[in-house]
Amino acid sequence: MKYARTVAALLLSTLVLACVFRDQLTPVGYDHQDRNIPNAFRSRQHLLGTDALGRDRLARVLEGTRVSLVLAPSAAAISTVLAILIAGTAALAGGWVERLTASGIDLFLSLPWLFLLVTVRALLPLNVSPMTSAVITFSVLGCLGWAGAARLLSAQLSWLRSRDFILLARASGCGGFRLLRRHLLPNLMPLVYAQFWISIPTFILAEANLGILGLGVSEPLPSWGSLLRELDSFSVFGWNLWQLVPLALLIAVVSCFHLLISKGEIAA
Amino acid sequence: MTPLLALNLSASYGGKSPVLSGLSLEIGRGEILGLVGESGCGKSTLALAILRLLPVKNAYVEGSIEFNGRDLMLLSEGEMRRVRGKEIGLVLQSPMSALNPALRVGAQLEEAWRVHQRGTKDARKRDLVSALANARLPHAEEFFRRYPAQLSVGQAQRVLIAMAMLHHPALLICDEPTSSLDLVTQSDIVELFRELKTKLATSILFISHDLLSVANLCQRIAVMKDGAIVECRSTKDLFFDPQHPYTQQLLRALPAVPRFAAKAAAANS
Amino acid sequence: MKTTASFLLLWISTLLTGASLSAQSANELRFSIHSFPKTFDPVLVDDDASETIRYLTGGVLIRINRESQRLEPELATGWKLSRDGRTITFTLRDGLRFSDGTGFGVADVAYTMNHLMDADLHSPTGDAFRVGEGKIAVKVLTANQVAITFPAAVVGLERLFDQVAIMSQSSPRKEMAVLGPYMVDEAKPGAVIVLKRNPNYWKVDSAGHHLPYISAIRLDVQPNRDLELIRFLRGEIHFINSLDAEYFEKVKAENPAAARNAGTSLDSEQMWFNQVPTAPLPAYKKIWFGSKSFRRAVSEAINRNDLARVVFRGHAQPAIGPFSPANQFWFNTALRPHPYDPTSARARLAAEGFYWRDGALYDSSGNRVEFSVVTNAGNRYREQMATLIQQDLSDVGIKLNVVTLDFPSLIERITRSFNYEACLLGLVNVDLDPNSEMNVWLSSAENHQWNPRQTSPATDWEADIDRLMRAQASSLDDRRRKQLFDQVQAIVWDQEPFLYLVNKDALAAIRPELHNVQPVVFRPQVYWNIEWLTLNAVVATRQ
Repeated sequence: MKYARTVAALLLSTLVLACVFRDQLTPVGYDHQDRNIPNAFRSRQHLLGTDALGRDRLARVLEGTRVSLVLAPSAAAISTVLAILIAGTAALAGGWVERLTASGIDLFLSLPWLFLLVTVRALLPLNVSPMTSAVITFSVLGCLGWAGAARLLSAQLSWLRSRDFILLARASGCGGFRLLRRHLLPNLMPLVYAQFWISIPTFILAEANLGILGLGVSEPLPSWGSLLRELDSFSVFGWNLWQLVPLALLIAVVSCFHLLISKGEIAA
Repeated sequence: MTPLLALNLSASYGGKSPVLSGLSLEIGRGEILGLVGESGCGKSTLALAILRLLPVKNAYVEGSIEFNGRDLMLLSEGEMRRVRGKEIGLVLQSPMSALNPALRVGAQLEEAWRVHQRGTKDARKRDLVSALANARLPHAEEFFRRYPAQLSVGQAQRVLIAMAMLHHPALLICDEPTSSLDLVTQSDIVELFRELKTKLATSILFISHDLLSVANLCQRIAVMKDGAIVECRSTKDLFFDPQHPYTQQLLRALPAVPRFAAKAAAANS
Repeated sequence: MKTTASFLLLWISTLLTGASLSAQSANELRFSIHSFPKTFDPVLVDDDASETIRYLTGGVLIRINRESQRLEPELATGWKLSRDGRTITFTLRDGLRFSDGTGFGVADVAYTMNHLMDADLHSPTGDAFRVGEGKIAVKVLTANQVAITFPAAVVGLERLFDQVAIMSQSSPRKEMAVLGPYMVDEAKPGAVIVLKRNPNYWKVDSAGHHLPYISAIRLDVQPNRDLELIRFLRGEIHFINSLDAEYFEKVKAENPAAARNAGTSLDSEQMWFNQVPTAPLPAYKKIWFGSKSFRRAVSEAINRNDLARVVFRGHAQPAIGPFSPANQFWFNTALRPHPYDPTSARARLAAEGFYWRDGALYDSSGNRVEFSVVTNAGNRYREQMATLIQQDLSDVGIKLNVVTLDFPSLIERITRSFNYEACLLGLVNVDLDPNSEMNVWLSSAENHQWNPRQTSPATDWEADIDRLMRAQASSLDDRRRKQLFDQVQAIVWDQEPFLYLVNKDALAAIRPELHNVQPVVFRPQVYWNIEWLTLNAVVATRQ
């Protein structure tokens, strides 16, 4: 197990390094179209071949990885903070507010989130740069993805709230968000960390799903979702094996995260 | 002279039969009042009711709590927060669960200080050191950095007492502060309370099911049964001339030897 | 998700079809339809699958020859159109019988027409005939002559009869009594339809053999295109009527002879700018989009050859106008392809006061030229075209943002809120006659996409188009109509309210066992001459 975690950590850090030094690794930018060699097989110039528009696949995979690896944790952070605030407010207020929040969370979880996401995305302004659209997509994911974490945190908070030390903190004159921040949160942190790490791969996959539908990050910026769309026609014949690289990477990264999380949970 | 605290309270949890039914009690300034009664008679409820923390436990309270010339029942939640910890301190029964397991000793004390005080790091340090000294605890850096799990039960209880006494409250409510401690530690803690009272002129409401330690410490004892005070007299009177059948029953239950001790204690005061 | 699902389906189907391949009758044609027909009533046809059944089973008075695009007599040996264009007189073929044995005559034509025009039925086919107020009158002249009079002149009337399958007046089972080459033998809802040869079909070949040659047709309902392709490659179906470029390439790689390109189709892909005056856009963008020079410059900056070559793997042609050259009669042959000429594009922009700073284009008021193009999500070809155009436009300093939207949101934006700047969509052309495009070209029309439902024409050229379109619609002289519509095409070429991008090729996959096939560019591409198709005696077996 420990060996696997080391490998996972190594793999992730190699990937991060490759993303940082992507300009050195690839001859052309991710959006450079060489229209004379679309769908090329691997060559010395293009280590993973080119996509349908003649763009270097390696450059696109690295750029897409960078986008996903930077933005997915940010989305995870947004959703975790939202979950803390919502669950925390409910726990502090107690009574009908807490009951209302609990049913609100249940309602939110039962919503067809993909549909919701598509609707929200359709309402966004059209004239945004691809990078902004990527940020918006992940922010929307983050803003919509808090409910699961909130439910877990709520349960933990309502248990914590009945503990003596919280009673004592109240008896010392502590209340409101101070109580949440200074007394509840430190006890919540292990769970919060776990939620954060777990939601990173979730958001990567969510964006990939959106991308497969063509509703993810906009062209020419790649993301794992849009890279995976290449596999749409994979079931038919004559595919290029190197098209599988993004899928392999996605599976590898998500598994790495899960390995590292399981470690985190044991430590907590 | 008006008493520090005079209350008349009724309380019930979620519409069930009342836990406190028209309970009246007075505590004088600088007085240690013992409150005894069997488990489940509403002693802890009373402690929380004085601090107006019962709504947290979904309880309904009515009546009046005259404290230092005003009725706490009429204060807003914000004003009440300034009373808690600052004017009235609380010590709970089980020290290990009353300390926040995720915070170091130093952080907990600092936090308790910050709730009511603003000031420089030095001022804070000075207050914390003196509070620890009052509770006869070491005030070394190493001690500040410990987590509650790294303390002995006695140390933990002293930390809680130091925290409760940090702002020199006029009233200290101790809810069974010794019942989870071994005998030696128990007597240490009782001794500490006596010292605090003398040194800081704090009034103490000492709640316990243990008549002996109460008698050891308090001038006056109130006996509680079924949510009301059945008898409240000086320790001597209570021991020599118990009026209420329940008090008599309590006294009969005491072992023989400690009765002498109790009498001796009563004679001393 | 979709990918995984199709993987799964693929494997499951491999398992199932492997087992279900039983001995099939030697002379049975098999192909896939993408959904089960909604109706077998030829009058109510409104979907592709129902249209397929109608084409294969229905007998019509006049047929449009899909290859020559000319009218040919079928059940009618001749027809005559009155001067006022309101009355058509048919002379019927003698001695024909419906598949159930009942005789065919003028009464059946009268019955069909009255049924078709029954207002309560809301027949989509009948709608094409509905002009002006009032009812049609069907008059039986002789035993084999019948005259149909409409309340007003119907432009292109004869062509409409290609859609009217004649029903039997006397047969109790109307839908089962047919005059076409095939009749329904078996239909399992949702799964399969089997057609068998109509024993009473009237056509014979020169040697006197009764047509059709193929004795049965098996239509499997297969909504998944991947599976359809796999079944084709395994020889389980004989042809795929319409393929996209990528699948076509795959067929070609496996079996070069099976990949058949019928040439440029009538379908076009186009882009247009929002010219709605009330659209929630900045005023300066409305000025750009309303400027002919700007539209022409953008058009000249787009490399249409690359779109055809890269996105469609060469199976498309740069588009010229509303009708592709495939529409032999109506296409304006005087029009040249739109040039790819970034230099000219820059000159046009410079002449309008646009200028460049650090390679980026600004208008005369100093606004950076940036706009978004919306297209429907999930259509890879459109997304790729948009991405190539994005690059082309950046070469002349224009920043293009590509936005993919789900279809309902896209439609909402382009038809109601008008909150978009440019849109890239395709148009499927099913009709050869410009009359079918009245709802696009009239400025008051619903589908006048760049600025629909105008109360009066916003520009002179739109007023000209209105005038020309109305004039051609009221003329019965095809030559005259052609002249008028040529002018419309020329104005559209010059003004470019639509930037026509490419016309896709009509691509089909046909197994070598199937003979006499002459795929054409419009429906039904492969089997338009169904009665003449033959199959090798050797039926494809599983490889």
